[in-house]
Amino acid sequence: MKLKFCFIVLLIITGSLHAQDEILKIGQPAPEISLPDLNGNTTTLSSLKGKLVLIDFWATWCAPCVKEQPELKAIYDKHRNQVKAEKFEILGVSLDKSKEHWQKGVARFKINWLQLSDLKYWKSQVAKDYAITELPFNVLIDEQGKIIAINLHGAALQNFINNYLSHQK
Amino acid sequence: MRHVIFLFFIVLTFNSGLFAQQSQEPWSSSQLIEPATLASKINLNQTGNLLILSVGPDAVIKGSVGIGSAKEQANVKKLKSYLKNISKDKEVIIYCGCCPFDKCPNIRPAFKTLNDMGFKNAKLLNLSKNIKANWIDKNYPTSD
Repeated sequence: MKLKFCFIVLLIITGSLHAQDEILKIGQPAPEISLPDLNGNTTTLSSLKGKLVLIDFWATWCAPCVKEQPELKAIYDKHRNQVKAEKFEILGVSLDKSKEHWQKGVARFKINWLQLSDLKYWKSQVAKDYAITELPFNVLIDEQGKIIAINLHGAALQNFINNYLSHQK
Repeated sequence: MRHVIFLFFIVLTFNSGLFAQQSQEPWSSSQLIEPATLASKINLNQTGNLLILSVGPDAVIKGSVGIGSAKEQANVKKLKSYLKNISKDKEVIIYCGCCPFDKCPNIRPAFKTLNDMGFKNAKLLNLSKNIKANWIDKNYPTSD
């Protein structure tokens, strides 16, 4: 009986932590993203079909997101051959409001993957479409544009990408 | 019995974390204003005696003034200069809404500035999660 009670309590705690994942589900097609890059050219998520794509939702005002950028850079550099072979890509989607801050952040972390933003902060349509309630947030999608992982960070993210790409060879 | 002890420790850990956080903040719990309360005042045009200041990345709330992120010293200076000629009795409500309170770098320097300047009716908008979850998603009035 006590065990059941403990289990229910833990379920409630973990459930509230993962409330973010309620709308977005693994196996579902990822909602389309169509946003301008730093030069104002619109890029779409669907144009990346055929690749494993890590969509990183971030902003320069989000300290944990900023902290994560060098880790993403390491992942991107490690898999540069798969990037060249058009098997892997990172799509950074910024919820910044200031283009200047966004631009400086991209330069500071030498981000060389795709970067998109409508510069609408939390009012951005992508925040709604992806039911984002907190940053950093990310989604991994497969070659068909289906969601295969939600909100992995640190070693879990690195391992997932390593495993996925190593099984592709 | 072991499970009960385990559960007790979980509750203790969660609670102590919350209390520790509350006691260190520059605001008291009575200085928090709920989003629903402010939204209602804005909708009823009862904001004549209020000053609503954004100290985060964007002034999302209708009628609020964007000071800029208060984690930057230049914006704290801007905040001081903006408040220089405002009566110390004025109700000044600040908000950021970038992140949950424990991760927000802006609300503490801003609220401390209000305290240091002697504002007696300083308030912090209780956007416990962020401006999206606690304001935009509730269809409260925004600046556009």
